[in-house]
Amino acid sequence: MHEFSVTSQIVGTIIKEAEEHRAKRVVQVNLAIGKLTFLGLEQVRFAYKLLTKGTIAEKSKLIIKEKDGTVKCGKCGYEGDFKYEDNPIYHLSTPSLKCPKCDNIVDIVGGKECTIESIKLVTDKDENK
Amino acid sequence: MKEAVKAEEDEVFDVELDIDILKANRKLAEENRKLLQKNGVKAIDIMGAIGAGKTSLIEKLVEALKGKYRIAAFKGDLTTTIDAEQIAKHGAEVVPINTGKECHLDANLVKKALKRLDLTKIDLLFIENVGNLICPAEFPLGSQKRIVVISVTEGPYMVIKHPFIFADADLVVINKIDLAKAMQVDIKKLEKDVKIINPNAKVAFTNCRTGEGVNTVIEALRL
Repeated sequence: MHEFSVTSQIVGTIIKEAEEHRAKRVVQVNLAIGKLTFLGLEQVRFAYKLLTKGTIAEKSKLIIKEKDGTVKCGKCGYEGDFKYEDNPIYHLSTPSLKCPKCDNIVDIVGGKECTIESIKLVTDKDENK
Repeated sequence: MKEAVKAEEDEVFDVELDIDILKANRKLAEENRKLLQKNGVKAIDIMGAIGAGKTSLIEKLVEALKGKYRIAAFKGDLTTTIDAEQIAKHGAEVVPINTGKECHLDANLVKKALKRLDLTKIDLLFIENVGNLICPAEFPLGSQKRIVVISVTEGPYMVIKHPFIFADADLVVINKIDLAKAMQVDIKKLEKDVKIINPNAKVAFTNCRTGEGVNTVIEALRL
């Protein structure tokens, strides 16, 4: 839903970082986006392309790693994927906050992140000397 | 054509960043939460679709609780102060938050709005979000409790179609129950859907025009 504004923050951050490293170009950006965010990957890629145009990050490779939503149970210690309640009539798979093992209520511990993990930069060799 | 520029191995290098773009809002929300707690203000988010009855619910809550608490409300809307004035009529101090074009409130807007209030003179704060069931789930504001209001006129599948906002809710208010029959909506089924997603959430049934069921909302919030 907020791909454009979020991506514009991403692009701003990487360009600032690249400039601090006196880089000539940004060649690759590694993102991790949680499945529980409301960010559509297709839209992020589209916005990234537009927003990097004319910058030192133009034509850089955007690699997005999707992170699963994970939950943790305070009672039995389960940590992992959600339990899903399936309803084939509606082609529906509803995530539930019940622990898949003991039915206790779980806490969401992962899947809400949108992290720039790392970037790959190119610097001018001569300038570094 | 000039010779192509090729990066040599030693010219390319990785920079580890580990910067979470969505974390900035979560951090601000945490600051809001601490500020509210320090001043002994109980803050409650009210989220829900356009026309679900968020403002009507706040009006009824203010009416019922104004003898017991000093109440303020933030009223998020794209534009206009129509709803804000509506709530202010009942005696609450209201700060309208016009988001312009944004479809949700964020922690920064709430932080700004908090500066307009004397928090030492308030016990209870309602934060009404922009009518939307998607975006507000992404942006915590710093409240202690979150209410999602839905109404039977939104149809029978409102809950299962928007599971994530219900996963974060402490209380789900099913409003306009007087229209359930005409809309052919089974309110018990809606409650069941909420419980599948979030067994911890409480469910209240209301008609915010007459005030029916508002006492059960107050009980569920322990106010």
